[in-house]
Amino acid sequence: MSALEFIFVPFGLFIILSLFIRGESSLSKYIALTLFGFMLSFSFELYSALPLQGYMELGNYLEVKEFGFSLSLAVDRLSVIMLILTSVLLILVGLSSWSMKNQAMYFNLLIAFSGAIFGVFMSTDFLWFFIFWELTLVPMYFLVGIWGAERRVYAAVKFFLYTHVASMFILLAFFLIHKESGSFDMRFVKESMLLSPVLIWWLLFTGFAVKMPIFPFHTWLPDAHVQAPAPISVLLAGVLLKMGAYAMIRMVILLFPETSQEYAWVILLLGVVTLFYAGFMALKETHLKKMVAYSSISHMGLVVIAISTLSYAGLSAAVYEMLGHAFIIAPLFLIAGYFHHKTGSWQMQDMGGIMQKTPYVSAIFVVAGLGALGLPGTMGFVGELSILLSAMKSHGIWLAAIALASMIGAGYIIWTFRRVIYGEMSEVVAKTKFSMNPMEFLALLVFTLFIIGFGLFPSILFDAINPIFSSYPFLGGAL
Amino acid sequence: MISAFTLLFLAALLSIALHRSYFLKPFALMALGISAFFTLDGAVVPLSGFVSDVSTQLFELIVEIVLFALVLHEDEDISITQVLFIGAASVLLLQSNTLISFVLSFEAVSIISVVLVSYIKTKDQAEGAVKMFIAGALGTGFLFLGVFFYVMGGGDLLQEITSEANRFEIIGLFIMLSGIFYKLTIVPFHGWAVDSYALVRHSHAAILTAVAKTVVALATFKLFAPFLATHINLSVPLLATLAVITMTLGNFLALFEKNIAKILSYSSIAHAGYILLAFVAVKSEYAKDGILYMSIAYIFMQSAAFLVLDILRKKYEVQRLQELQGFVSQNAILAFFFTLQLFSLAGIPLLAGFLSKAVVFYAVVDAGFWYIALIALLNSALSVGYYAWIIKTIYFDKSTSKERHVEITLPLFAQIILAVGTIYFGIFAGVVFSSSL
Repeated sequence: MSALEFIFVPFGLFIILSLFIRGESSLSKYIALTLFGFMLSFSFELYSALPLQGYMELGNYLEVKEFGFSLSLAVDRLSVIMLILTSVLLILVGLSSWSMKNQAMYFNLLIAFSGAIFGVFMSTDFLWFFIFWELTLVPMYFLVGIWGAERRVYAAVKFFLYTHVASMFILLAFFLIHKESGSFDMRFVKESMLLSPVLIWWLLFTGFAVKMPIFPFHTWLPDAHVQAPAPISVLLAGVLLKMGAYAMIRMVILLFPETSQEYAWVILLLGVVTLFYAGFMALKETHLKKMVAYSSISHMGLVVIAISTLSYAGLSAAVYEMLGHAFIIAPLFLIAGYFHHKTGSWQMQDMGGIMQKTPYVSAIFVVAGLGALGLPGTMGFVGELSILLSAMKSHGIWLAAIALASMIGAGYIIWTFRRVIYGEMSEVVAKTKFSMNPMEFLALLVFTLFIIGFGLFPSILFDAINPIFSSYPFLGGAL
Repeated sequence: MISAFTLLFLAALLSIALHRSYFLKPFALMALGISAFFTLDGAVVPLSGFVSDVSTQLFELIVEIVLFALVLHEDEDISITQVLFIGAASVLLLQSNTLISFVLSFEAVSIISVVLVSYIKTKDQAEGAVKMFIAGALGTGFLFLGVFFYVMGGGDLLQEITSEANRFEIIGLFIMLSGIFYKLTIVPFHGWAVDSYALVRHSHAAILTAVAKTVVALATFKLFAPFLATHINLSVPLLATLAVITMTLGNFLALFEKNIAKILSYSSIAHAGYILLAFVAVKSEYAKDGILYMSIAYIFMQSAAFLVLDILRKKYEVQRLQELQGFVSQNAILAFFFTLQLFSLAGIPLLAGFLSKAVVFYAVVDAGFWYIALIALLNSALSVGYYAWIIKTIYFDKSTSKERHVEITLPLFAQIILAVGTIYFGIFAGVVFSSSL
């Protein structure tokens, strides 16, 4: 299949399947998993065919000459890495939704989502990028609104509106870029062509900051992530936030090197605030999934700090941390959702001593938690260390202070272990029977494997990531 | 060569003879099909003062497709005849090129609209019809007053509108515009619209808000654009203010409305604001693409939405938002089409609503008013609030009424035609751009 088909076949499948397959039929599930498998192999195919630097053309469709607007598909290393991450997560999310209710529609929506997200990472036309960017919201709106927890409707509508409003700034920025440079193609637009780069920079930065999310634009996230069903929280954290970070790197940092240099302090400041604010919020939280959500925001704060270095090493570390964050936060969300599903409570005090009842799942929670606090040997450690080093190199020694955030992280994670995993068994847990679908457990195992595997051998990832940024001369040197 | 106007006009007259027979609907559908064929051939109304170009042809074709869907949906004989009449009048208005032909065709559309809604069965419909009639009369009055000023200033009715207008002519043209704004439901000329759209039969409202509005907007733009472009200093502040007020007010009032028909009517007012933006951006070369695209998208999604309302009111007795709760379990297919059109109205991509708004807003940016475009974009984002709320009611809420099953009927085919239009123009923008030169 060609790249275009990977975008539009899912939409076609979505319409056909949702007209004919309903209820608890598991056909959609198998079709979805097969499709995601093809997507993964396609992403690896792209990766192996990729030149070391620059873009690889995948075709140009639906051209509108009069408007300079066409669906031009091209990938570079950054987008292919995001494609691989997306398809891996889609497969694992599919596995962990194995026993979801109202299955047919759920997987139909996942299929639609997969098309949109592939479009985001493959299109180099600003307007088409925006089209797919917005399109990812629609399946998410339904997935959160139908399958979510108690306050799902509020969360779904808030998520949809909040991120949609933010997108309007992005769209306006794209219009201004097109007006001033005459092109919608992000490969050909240069900062020097633009008359008002500062305005455009701020519009783009605000728009993407909401998605990442960066303090103070993060308020949609705790609601959406907590109310979403656990596998969808994984997609939100693992793919949607990454989409924001991807766009931030590609369209803010790499497209506007000079303006970014000028406002690097803004990015840095907001990154540090995000990191600490979310850390403290996680510390005071007694709602298990909210704690995970805030820890997720806190990790994105690290990514923001890494981006603010505008250096080769920093951006590589940012991409590494994005992957690490996806793999670490996913099992935490899944297990938090699982505990809630079984015990019926979100509160940590109701979950004490869960280790005695379900040791394997708890062990995975512990491994992922240790990854989140940055224990050596996990992806979390490598990510945090490389970000710390690059930040200190770019911004000065005082940034060693971000190591403190790691201590806060250790605080809330280990305290959570104490309250949820170990400790005395609570009455609720004693009454509950724990049993997990083998497929869902398999997904958790794979995540664990990634956390430890890429933590012990980070060079596998860094070898893939490093060439992305080496072709940009304005970025500072390596470590 | 016979023009689509002649054909539709004759068919409309003939159709009166076919009332109360089974042949009426097939006859009307056939007439529209054949007239589409003639439209493609490029025939012009055989009178002086009418011209056609590619963009006119495209839009005539679209109007004929939408009317085809409307006839499929319709089950009252008298309404089918009126649909044919409005088709003929639309062709006339779209092709009008001089002031006199514009005024006459505009009146034709207005009169047919009034005749359409005056098929009154209930008290509510009477109220809606009367309000519309009064507004239409006022609009006509303003239009003629404007014409009077224009002629006093030395304007020639048998020519296109002059772009180098003197003071009298300028006053006349702006008064004319205000008369036209009654039809376009621009604030402050919108007072009648919500009640009329919500109270008259929804399939009639579909014609009023979707067909009549877009046709008038497009014809007005064609005729007035050169004049507005030469008087930027005057037209831009005035029209921009009206556009911003219109869309903001429309969207805010829609947010607080509980009656679905009224929500969509307010959304129709908000869309009038977006349409007016194309007039603001007249300096940009994309303004004409923008208004053409906006009209195409709007005619598909708005008529589809109002036809769904018609089915909802007739079959399910649904009028208030509350009564739609869990509607997906009653009729999943209708819910799907309704959702699709609502997303399009909200400006969600891959549907015509998004690209049309994008082109109009881009034209505004291109003309140099990025802050107006920002207001419009935020308005559009705000509007997602009430559309998403309707969709939430349909999909997320628990159903209160008993299960009902889906029927495959002609109105469903009408929905399919309109949905295909909405999706097609959401992906293939090339058609619009290549035909608006």
